[in-house]
Amino acid sequence: MIVIGNVTGTIKFLGENKMSKMFVGMAGALLALSFGASLAMAGGDEAITARKACMKANGAGMGAMVPMIKGEKPYDEAVVKTALETMGKACAAWDTFWPEDSKTSTTQKTHASDAIWKDKEGFAAAGAAAYKAETALAATTDEAGFKAAFAAVGAACGGCHKAFRTSME
Amino acid sequence: MARAIFQRRNLAALALIVVSGLLVLGVATRTHPLSATDIPAHTANLENGKNLYNAGGCISCHAPGPGLTDVSADVPAGGKPFKTPIGILYPPNLTPDPETGLGNWTETDFVNAMQKGISPAGEHLIPAFPYTSYAHMKITDVLDIKAYLGTLAPVKNAATPHDIPLAMVVRRGLGLWKYIGFDETPWTADTTKSESWNRGSYLVNGPGHCNECHTPRTIFMASDNSRKFIGGPHPEGKGTVPSIRSLIERGRYKDVADLVLAFQNGEELGYSHMSSGGMGDVQSNIAKLPEADVKAIAEYVTSLK
Repeated sequence: MIVIGNVTGTIKFLGENKMSKMFVGMAGALLALSFGASLAMAGGDEAITARKACMKANGAGMGAMVPMIKGEKPYDEAVVKTALETMGKACAAWDTFWPEDSKTSTTQKTHASDAIWKDKEGFAAAGAAAYKAETALAATTDEAGFKAAFAAVGAACGGCHKAFRTSME
Repeated sequence: MARAIFQRRNLAALALIVVSGLLVLGVATRTHPLSATDIPAHTANLENGKNLYNAGGCISCHAPGPGLTDVSADVPAGGKPFKTPIGILYPPNLTPDPETGLGNWTETDFVNAMQKGISPAGEHLIPAFPYTSYAHMKITDVLDIKAYLGTLAPVKNAATPHDIPLAMVVRRGLGLWKYIGFDETPWTADTTKSESWNRGSYLVNGPGHCNECHTPRTIFMASDNSRKFIGGPHPEGKGTVPSIRSLIERGRYKDVADLVLAFQNGEELGYSHMSSGGMGDVQSNIAKLPEADVKAIAEYVTSLK
């Protein structure tokens, strides 16, 4: 607020000067620019937040299903369906998660690799593979089918993370 | 003062200093390769060679380059660019093609490259090739890897020269660097620990070269073994490689069996952190090892705190 006050003060002061119209224009343009930049930044940050929520849901969903693969918990179709549904919902806006201005952020960590934007085709294919594997897993109705379809989901996560995520922590 | 410096006696002294400096530099930067008599007689164990080839993860760097479309991705024909802060490296062809691969390499050549960091032409090799870890290996294990590589189908693929802006300086400087940054001590067992733990320690510290990324470096770019396995900068320049000690301490893997599953299955069993930043390739190589070796690695790693 103080900064804005100062800027308007300066503009007013300059406004009294005959030579100052240009400066007012420039200051205005600068203000508009920085406002635009901050908007764009917010967009990138929002995308990072959204994709992190998606990944978190994926992790939680996998966490619910993996014990059934390992044999630590009995197979439960309802758990599988709920897990995949939650994952699907959290990631529904997938295509909007990767704007150019979300490569880095000053306010939060991102492990997105530059490769996402360098190899757009490969990244889209990796995303499609995950979607396909999850859809196939959601269609299973018994333990044998679930176990057979599960590995493809894990492999799809891994395939994408290998190529498009930088090291964690 | 200026005149004093250019007096004849001083000039002679200066020349002496420069010449002896160059001599010392020349001696310090030269290579010290092994000769054929240093190589023991050994009957190759191909199975062992294959396992250690996988433990070393050779394929991760020596993968076929983008131009070799008709070569399977698991053939170490070389050429896949490896971007490092000093420039782009093109790891060479490890198949036994006599012209472009290792076909004409003697056992001495191979051991010198793997354990001394010296090429058959007598040049210092860039330690992105982790001879700094392979130096700790048993020489017979190194010979087994060579024997295994000799069984692969030869692929013709000449190595692209490395793209290093300061190549000449780097190569000579490496000779000096070896005095401070290159520890050639052979691996030794800790008799207070189990056989399996020791096997794990050998695989991790020798062929596995985990140290190269999971340990920070000193200002001389030598592995800082006082801070071993506490993580380090990512070798490709972006981000960091996690601390193994801290992962174990925080209970990321609840026991040896859990870590074995993580190594064997990675993300297919939901171990999501096994995939990113290059670890995915490491995991898929470890997954190829016999179960006893994976268990040995897990036993050693979980003991790090």
